[in-house]
Amino acid sequence: MSDNISRRDFLKLSGLGITAAAVMTGCGPSSRYVVRHAYVDMPEYNQTGVSTFYATTCQECPAGCGIIVRTQEGRAIKIEGNPNHPVNLGKICSRGLTSVQGLYNPDRIGGPQKRSRGEQNITPMNWEDAVTVVTNGLANSGKVAFLLGLTSDHLFDLVTEITTAANSMPPFRYSSLATLEGRATLVKATEEMFGKPNLPYFDISNSDVILNFGASFLETWISPLAYSRGFKNFRKQKFGKRGYLISFEPRQSLTSANADLWVPALPGSEGYLAMAIGKIVAQIKSLPIPLMYENITISDASKISGVSETKLQEIAEIVARAEHPIAIPGGGALVTENGLQTAKAILGLNILHKNLGVPGGVYLTNGDSPTTNLDEIAKLIQEMNAGNIATIFIHGTNPVFELPKSLGFTEALKKVPTVISFSSFEDETVIESDYVFPDHTGLESFGYQRVLAGSDREAISSVQPVVQPIHDTKATVDVFLAAATSVGGDISAKIKYTDEVDFLQQKITPLLDSGGFYNAPELPTFWSKWLQYGGWWKPEMGLEIPEDNNQLSEKIDLKLPKQLSENKEFHLITFGTQMGDGHGANRPWLQETPDPMTTLTWNSWIEINPDTADKLGIHDDDIVSVASTTGGESIEVVVYRYPAIRPDCVAMPFGQGHTALGRYAEGRGSNPAEIWSSLLNQAGNLAVFETKVSITPTGKRRPLARQESKAGVYGEH
Amino acid sequence: MAEKEGKEKWGMVIDLDICTGCQACVTACSMENNIPFVGEDEMAYGRGMQWMRIRRYWEGEYPEVAPAHEPMLCQQCGNAPCEPVCPVFASVHSEQEQINLQVYNRCIGTRYCANNCPFSARTFNWFDYELPAPMNSYLNPDVSVRRRGIMEKCTFCVQRIVKGRQNASASGREIADGEVVPACAQACPTDAIVFGNLSDPESRVSQIARSDRAFRELEELGTDSRVTYLKGGKNYGS
Amino acid sequence: MAVEAKPLYSSKATEHQETNAEELRKEHLMLDPMPRDEMNQMVMNAMHTTTKKYWVFLIGFGLAVVVLLFGAWGYMIANGMGVAGIRRPVFWGIFIVTFVFWIGISHAGTFVSAILRVFKAEFRRPFTRAAELMTTFGLAAGALYPLIHLGRVWVFYWMIPYPNARWLWPNFRSPLVWDFLAITTYLLSSTIYLFLPLMPDLAMARDRTTGWRHAIYKVLSLGWRGTEAEWLRLRKAIGIFAFAIIPVMFSVHTIVSWDFAVTMVVGWQSTIFGPYFIIGAILSGVSAVVTILYIIRSTMKNFDYFIRPEHFDGLGKLILIFSMAWAYFFFNEYILSWYGGEEALKQLLTLHATGPSAWVWYLMLICNVAIPWLFLWNKKIRRTPWIMFIITLLVNVGMFAERYTIIPLTLGHQRNPFDWGIYNPTIVEISIVLGTLCLFIFLYLLASRLIPLVPVWEVQEGQMSHTFRKVGKTEIPSVTELE
Repeated sequence: MSDNISRRDFLKLSGLGITAAAVMTGCGPSSRYVVRHAYVDMPEYNQTGVSTFYATTCQECPAGCGIIVRTQEGRAIKIEGNPNHPVNLGKICSRGLTSVQGLYNPDRIGGPQKRSRGEQNITPMNWEDAVTVVTNGLANSGKVAFLLGLTSDHLFDLVTEITTAANSMPPFRYSSLATLEGRATLVKATEEMFGKPNLPYFDISNSDVILNFGASFLETWISPLAYSRGFKNFRKQKFGKRGYLISFEPRQSLTSANADLWVPALPGSEGYLAMAIGKIVAQIKSLPIPLMYENITISDASKISGVSETKLQEIAEIVARAEHPIAIPGGGALVTENGLQTAKAILGLNILHKNLGVPGGVYLTNGDSPTTNLDEIAKLIQEMNAGNIATIFIHGTNPVFELPKSLGFTEALKKVPTVISFSSFEDETVIESDYVFPDHTGLESFGYQRVLAGSDREAISSVQPVVQPIHDTKATVDVFLAAATSVGGDISAKIKYTDEVDFLQQKITPLLDSGGFYNAPELPTFWSKWLQYGGWWKPEMGLEIPEDNNQLSEKIDLKLPKQLSENKEFHLITFGTQMGDGHGANRPWLQETPDPMTTLTWNSWIEINPDTADKLGIHDDDIVSVASTTGGESIEVVVYRYPAIRPDCVAMPFGQGHTALGRYAEGRGSNPAEIWSSLLNQAGNLAVFETKVSITPTGKRRPLARQESKAGVYGEH
Repeated sequence: MAEKEGKEKWGMVIDLDICTGCQACVTACSMENNIPFVGEDEMAYGRGMQWMRIRRYWEGEYPEVAPAHEPMLCQQCGNAPCEPVCPVFASVHSEQEQINLQVYNRCIGTRYCANNCPFSARTFNWFDYELPAPMNSYLNPDVSVRRRGIMEKCTFCVQRIVKGRQNASASGREIADGEVVPACAQACPTDAIVFGNLSDPESRVSQIARSDRAFRELEELGTDSRVTYLKGGKNYGS
Repeated sequence: MAVEAKPLYSSKATEHQETNAEELRKEHLMLDPMPRDEMNQMVMNAMHTTTKKYWVFLIGFGLAVVVLLFGAWGYMIANGMGVAGIRRPVFWGIFIVTFVFWIGISHAGTFVSAILRVFKAEFRRPFTRAAELMTTFGLAAGALYPLIHLGRVWVFYWMIPYPNARWLWPNFRSPLVWDFLAITTYLLSSTIYLFLPLMPDLAMARDRTTGWRHAIYKVLSLGWRGTEAEWLRLRKAIGIFAFAIIPVMFSVHTIVSWDFAVTMVVGWQSTIFGPYFIIGAILSGVSAVVTILYIIRSTMKNFDYFIRPEHFDGLGKLILIFSMAWAYFFFNEYILSWYGGEEALKQLLTLHATGPSAWVWYLMLICNVAIPWLFLWNKKIRRTPWIMFIITLLVNVGMFAERYTIIPLTLGHQRNPFDWGIYNPTIVEISIVLGTLCLFIFLYLLASRLIPLVPVWEVQEGQMSHTFRKVGKTEIPSVTELE
């Protein structure tokens, strides 16, 4: 990517190559103020039969992939990757592709509503009244809370400004996806190891051996498209060199399925494995054994994890021989009680190899990554229960669905006098709210998303509307700005933006001349390029090189994974799917796109090793009751006999089991969050993998909608 | 139909070594080509409409078990079994693109072509599938929406091929290699799908298709399929 | 006219002379003559007798046709093929099974009539009409299926070769077009073949009726008067048709088999399918003739005179032979597949015998092989109409199972195990299948009161040519060939 990329080059690169098509800017749906014209005055961007393309950012997950949306006659038709965007380089995943099904979903909320909690008693409102409600909420600045999602960074920034101005509680950000991927733990471990609370960037493209501890980076982990591209480069290196992927995971995810070696390790034992590998590698390379890894014997590690000593030796030899072996801590390895120590032990392997800040090594991304730990959410719940919260604003997350039931969020919500949701859909949280003031969906709104972990350079991705809002919705930023103007006091004094676009423009002004791949003398030019290219980023790779904090010489302390009584108690593994944090469940094509490993559609399931299932007398499509052995909660779910899972583990996908969220999502499968243990690890991350369950057949059956032929693939009829 | 040598002979290579099986191509294809979703019961009954499906078999036994993913789509056979059996020429070979076309408005729904397809690549519109408003807004205007009773299948995104040709001829040149990309290849996060013109020996797809890992599905049947797969492997350093 | 007399039933007749003549008369219709007018009256009576039960059945089956066939079909047209149980990869289900079944049944009607006529098998005379009617009505029921199974039946005529705005002929390389042409040809020729010998009987009926029946018969009998020239031409025409229709019949069912044999489907692609299908068709058709003869004999007036155990006996022998031939072809197909060693085919054949639908396969073997072989060697059984009725019904069940094995069960297990699928017919499909059965019965019921079900003139002709001749002191039955 060069500094002076021309518009022509851009089109050529984009592969669209369509003469009539141009990535539009500054006009069209992204006009700041909507003026209605008679249809005969067709605006120039809207020629009948000619497509118009807009660059924006995918809002389906926080990775911040650049997309180009094909529109025609004012309708969003197809999502394509933005070929220039540093995160995804023109690629796109299933979730992004189906975002038009969110935009045009028949179950969207059409306008502001006042609701009775738990009932279908809805009174439509107008936006003036809605702003008044928000203003009243803000007025009581000591008793207001904001619970936001990981997308819409600009909203988070504005809310942070508001809370700072009013000196109220800072906003919380929660996503179950971040919980499952162990994001908070990773950030904390990075802070302890390298001194900065940033997400690390793993340059797998140039490494020759990957030791992957639980990160499902080909599916959902942090920035799946960026890592998928990295995986491709890793496999197809220069001179026909092919990287070797070793994956440690109790249940084979798609990432482990693509590994050259899958090692089914007991959940919670990954730290021991990392230590053992570190120790053997140090021995092979005749390095002094770091203190971090000293405290383990190979046979202990083998016993605890269930991985044979020879296999450990073999892996360590591969690692020792490699030039740039990279060790990735993620997902399953981090969401156990040992999570933080495990992450440190794994990151330590990179230090051991001096694999920091070199090609094929570990870098640090720029900027902080504000993810609220679950311990803070727990504190918020305490406050709510104590009656210290008068108004809670919920945007971009669905806490009633996503938080573990054992945390008691739903009960706490009942104690909050005013609950305001900004959701586009009637989800579980909306049902428990007093007001819903629907925001635009991602394809109708302005904004930006800081690219954290998928890009090898500093990048901010821009969001612009590709179609005019199809319902009576209003940008939440505009709602807050309007309320901030009328609330008076500190807020009105400090928050001085005329509208959302003004806010965005002021925010990006510092980028005007800070060495991006384009520069502009003044804001309007910059703004138009910002929209046209779908963001701003640096022309060449550049990430911070992590500093070794000499943590290898600190001992780490791991807890032994709990012993389970065989065939009675199982580790419950929850994995992310294309449903993301659950809001994808109302996209029918996401429901119908088969799960890559099981080919199942439209439901959730529980994966059980066939041997275990035989012992328990469980068949495919049986409905079993899955009960938490600690909490006592239980859910019913259909069995899929999965050949690639440890016999002492069972696994469930996350994202189904909605009781609301529209016709495509409701009443489908079950939600594992209902039986999650509320145990936290040292980083305050929910230790999801510490959930232990028992399995009881219910005698009921329900055939799962699988694409594969059971007879053909498994020989069962 | 016997093929005449033309300028275009579109083909595809799928590298199974880097195909992760993530299903992005499946969704991309469905969104590009107005493929209806059928819901849980119909999916369970094997009536999914996906033109592209990722076959997943298992290899080995636990713990040395791994899935083998293989994207399966219409192989656009040069000598296609679906073509001669159609009584009304709804399944025909296109002379220009050298692919198998399915002419929707000529199809009367005998489903004979689907029986005769050794790749099970064809799907049938068992019903008129509901697309509640305003969801119909995202339908691609370049692709017909099919009604009940007709057969459909992967077209190699022929609408994109046509557009690419029109653009090329408007500027008085040949279609450049890589200019036409079907939705699946465009989305593929690992670039495992490469699409191009096989009649040009220098095109990227032709070059990759000459790999010694190349094989074609059910080649022994002599259907002359246009989709080449590159064998995946689990070897270090090779 | 050359007249040649030769002894019949000679072996036993010579041994027990006196009582034998009486017994032979009782046994053989041809030796048991009846005055012409009396016989005519018997047939007319059978046609005129309508009991309350008859009307109940007629209206019942008529309603069943409307509801089961047209109701279910209409529902399917309105909602889409999805109401049927077919799915990927089983794109053809019970509709095509029943199609092949009816076409198969309809074959034997003509076969029995034409082959036996050509070979001058005298026992054929009383039941050729019943068999030919079965052909026509079987085709009528079967020919509906190519329409029923279409996804868009409202444009079925696109299969017909006619000059059109699309400037497009049908694809003559498609077996479905061959099918279409073959079935049309067969329907046409078998209707003519039914009609030719019917003419004198219609004239007979015309002369014995009044009112609307008279008017109909008058038109249908084409002014038949019974002159020598007319008889001569009729005989010639029947002679030609009887020969000509045999190759048509063979080709039609071969073409039906080509629907399967020319494809790439594992288990269908087979060179033996042509004769295999013909044998199967004849086996099921001859059985169906027996089934129908039993029903006619036991429900219609005077028919125990025309249809006698000797006919069941003769047809029973045919069934036994064709069952053996069928088994030979079946075995042949297996051993060749086994010899070929194609993996997918081996897997398929194993699944037929061991898979979840193996009961269909065993049903086929039991009904088509075990039952005929166990029972039909026995003359006593062959001569007991009700046992024959049950056996022949079972043979047809077996043949239905054979087609079911060949079509959905084979399609469900092709080269890609990932795509295998189990097919189960839905209530709509079963209803349509039963609907066509009702249509067949309904048409037959209607015809039984409108058309002389016995070719009276042929029986009379036969009886005239059969006489007892005295050879010494012995009376020997003999037949005169009219040629």
